Amino acid sequence: MEADIIRHKPAKRLGGIFSRRILLDICLISAAIAFFFIFPNNLGFMTRVLVMIIMVLSLDLVLGYAGVATLGHAALFGSGAYAAGIFAVYISANPLLGLVVGALAGAIIAFFSGLILMRATGLTLLMLSIAVAQVLFELVNSERDLTGGSDGLLGIDMDPVLGLYAFDFYGKTGYWYALAVLVVVFILLRVFVASPFGLVARGIHASPERMRAIGTPVYWRLITIYTLAGGIAGIGGAVSAQVTELVSLESLGFNLSAEAMIMLILGGIGRLYGAIFGTVIFMTVHHFAASVDPFNWLFVIGILVLLVVYVVPEGVLGLPEKLRKHLGMAK
Amino acid sequence: MKKLFAALSAASAIGLASAGPALADHTVKVGIIAPFSGPFAIWGKQFQEAIEVYVAQNGESAGGHRIEFVYKDSGGPNPSGTKALAQELVISDGVDYLGGFVFTPNALAVAPLIDEAQIPTVIFNAATSIIVEKSDYFVRTSFSLWQVSVPMAEWAYAQGIRTAAISVTDYGPGNDAEIAFKTAFEALGGTVVDTIKMPLATTDFAPFMQRIKDQSPDAVFGFLPAGPPSFAYIKAYNENGLREAGIEFLGTGEMDETTLEAIGDAAIGITTAYHYSGAHPSEMNQAFTDKIDEMFPGSVTNLASVGAYDGAHILYQMIGAVGSERTEAVDVVRGLAWESPRGPVSIDPVTRHITQNVYIRRVARDENGRLVNEEFDVIEAVPDLGLVEN
Amino acid sequence: MSVFFGILVDGVSYGMILFMISVGLTITMGLMRVINLAHGSFALIGGATAHWLTSEMGVGYYAAVPLAVLATMMVAMVLEKVFYRKIYQFTELQQVLATIGITFLCIATVNYLLGSTILPIKIPEVFTESISLGFRSMPVHRLVVIVMGLVVVVALFLLLERTNFGIQLRAAVDNRTMADALGIDTVRIFALSFSLGAGLAAFGGILGAELLPVEAYYPLRYMVLFLVVVAVGGMGSIAGSFLAAIGLGIIDTAARYIVPEYGTIFFFVVMMLVLALRPRGLLGRI
Repeated sequence: MEADIIRHKPAKRLGGIFSRRILLDICLISAAIAFFFIFPNNLGFMTRVLVMIIMVLSLDLVLGYAGVATLGHAALFGSGAYAAGIFAVYISANPLLGLVVGALAGAIIAFFSGLILMRATGLTLLMLSIAVAQVLFELVNSERDLTGGSDGLLGIDMDPVLGLYAFDFYGKTGYWYALAVLVVVFILLRVFVASPFGLVARGIHASPERMRAIGTPVYWRLITIYTLAGGIAGIGGAVSAQVTELVSLESLGFNLSAEAMIMLILGGIGRLYGAIFGTVIFMTVHHFAASVDPFNWLFVIGILVLLVVYVVPEGVLGLPEKLRKHLGMAK
Repeated sequence: MKKLFAALSAASAIGLASAGPALADHTVKVGIIAPFSGPFAIWGKQFQEAIEVYVAQNGESAGGHRIEFVYKDSGGPNPSGTKALAQELVISDGVDYLGGFVFTPNALAVAPLIDEAQIPTVIFNAATSIIVEKSDYFVRTSFSLWQVSVPMAEWAYAQGIRTAAISVTDYGPGNDAEIAFKTAFEALGGTVVDTIKMPLATTDFAPFMQRIKDQSPDAVFGFLPAGPPSFAYIKAYNENGLREAGIEFLGTGEMDETTLEAIGDAAIGITTAYHYSGAHPSEMNQAFTDKIDEMFPGSVTNLASVGAYDGAHILYQMIGAVGSERTEAVDVVRGLAWESPRGPVSIDPVTRHITQNVYIRRVARDENGRLVNEEFDVIEAVPDLGLVEN
Repeated sequence: MSVFFGILVDGVSYGMILFMISVGLTITMGLMRVINLAHGSFALIGGATAHWLTSEMGVGYYAAVPLAVLATMMVAMVLEKVFYRKIYQFTELQQVLATIGITFLCIATVNYLLGSTILPIKIPEVFTESISLGFRSMPVHRLVVIVMGLVVVVALFLLLERTNFGIQLRAAVDNRTMADALGIDTVRIFALSFSLGAGLAAFGGILGAELLPVEAYYPLRYMVLFLVVVAVGGMGSIAGSFLAAIGLGIIDTAARYIVPEYGTIFFFVVMMLVLALRPRGLLGRI
């Protein structure tokens, strides 16, 4: 934990490394644009990956930066999805307004559940966060008239984005839309993480006691971070609702929370990029393993997960560092 | 011109069954979306086996078109994933038709897509009434809960049952079943003494049984998803003395052939109303089950099998008539009547939902000692009453 | 009044199953400080083995149960050696990931060998009969569960309070480093108690199969349920797990009897209340 801080802090201050990051960002965005042309037939799947990245980035903020391990992130994602969906059905089908509504819903749920969650740690926190998601799941299931229950929320028919780009059957607009939202979210997170507030988050992660000792109101800081993460997860949910034009109970389900966590740890926590790589790797492997041998794909995922924890416990992003160390020692 | 072409190829399709592959010059692809992984993987397996049996019996082509099935795994209820799969099937695999669909939200998610791309889509299972209204390209070969619950209520009333409790799993299909049974039963003059909505995750049913028993109705109508819930419910029904107390269980799909052996003797004598029994006495069904047994030893046929088998039949009719000129394909099967392993069926020309007999069955052991649903009464040619009455 | 007793009896027997499966989890989580999401896998392995023995090998129930429990304990020993020794040193998150990975492999294996449908365990005829308790009747297997649950409680109490192993185990739970320094072979204690926990899970899984049917996805389906018991009871506390399991069993049963449509919500709200007031669980020490 201590080592983490030492490794991260200088990175923030050195302009050189910062600009190298920007280079990497440009590469990533270029890759996302290139994928559109390389895989024009898989836009639906790639859009789902982009949406999931937004969700996992949000989890990274909570888990990777503030060090708060929850297993109920779907509560925030699903709230955003249902809020944006219901808003689109009954009030306005404007996608951007829908994003705002989704963000607000995610943030509100995060704030109020955070009041309880942020007091807890360890197993208690995991269980409480699961419970929040489960209670929301049951509420949505029983409020059938408004939410459609287990049939899913029907009747979402989005207006064109900015009045110009209609959501089309090939998923082209959906892809660009999700990518644009993701880029904005990523930049936002980047700015936040580098801000003094972001450093406070890291400080709390490293040692809540010490932060408390220097006068930081740890509890309220955590709630602020959780609320922000809720807003971002809510945006992810909103995009999902708008692109799929249907919201189902599974967006609040335990499986989604668990998968998001697997993806994040797979990629590596506390680096933002980990969320991106972890999600891409997990979903791609799932996609191919499931199409080759769906009945047994769980073997592949299980082995992948174990390989990562045992070989590169820091996540896939720890791999280059590990290699570098290894080669360095060889010299 | 198109109509003429359709008529011509429909005519040739009839004569084609034997001529088969020789005429095949062009391949039409059909995408099947179903769960092949996870807790619901049995559905995909049942679908695929039934389709392969249909192909083995009827050849690989219809109307000079070779038919190729492409299978995709949707996992559980997963509308966004299902929509992406459908997009992929249409855009990259170039399928002209879709089939499968176990869960309502998954089927609903593809409605806008098949409208825009004009893809005729045959639903093998997803049973909520409204689905077929969401796109003119949907045709359904399964059933709806209205379709089987109303006959159950009417049959029960005719047997002298006057009071009933309702216990359904608290989700879409459960609510459909509840409303359908209640509406029909009360319309006849019966009284529903209690309605219990049971949580989806529950497998300990003792408290519900106790509550029902305390009110001692003539019967309890239930709806539960197949698998662990049905298994545990029927056991709890027996063990909590409801059967001894003479409270008859009335159900629909709980005695599914894939879980029947697991439930064991506890299932014997349970009465349900449903559109298909693996033991339906007809030559057609015998041929179907024999072929399943021959090609996939150890497999049984259930509602999923017959939904997929008839779904394949519909797809063959459409493809035989129009090939990949699919825009008018659905019209080919409107009003189509044929004999299915479940008995005589037809596609309602307006709702595009299957009209079929509903059988009253009771679980018994057959001559080989296997547990089967024995049909002993029938309500003929029932349409989707959910669409008719709503 | 009979309603009250009915709920009590059903709740206690449901709670006993939860207790038997979860008590192993509370031992391992309390002792080794491992967030072990794979615990339900041992109930699955036990249940699947018992299914295979009774249905396919023709072994009688009374022989199949101990065999299946022993088999599970052996598998647990191996898994402990191969995977868990390293997991102890992981961070909380890596533990979550590693144990989920193990769960996936267990599910995939059972799925591959026995399929994804229910794996019924043939129970003796007498278990399915009902006996009258005066105010109501009750299936024998539920009574068996209650009795065996009590036996497990007493046996665990004796094991922990009256044997050398128990003393060493408690010492290791309280302070591993100190126990190590005093010459207690904590590695061996860990391995033994881990496999004991797995055996209990298997035993509970088999006895509870009539209420929580065994199938490949069992560990994921009930993962949260078992964790709730441990969290509410307090990690490492056997008495706490007992209280939590019985309490939650009764509350859940009552909620389902009285307000079925809000049954699940009620269950989770109670859990949240307890944990909000007592973050370490009812009797937790860590």
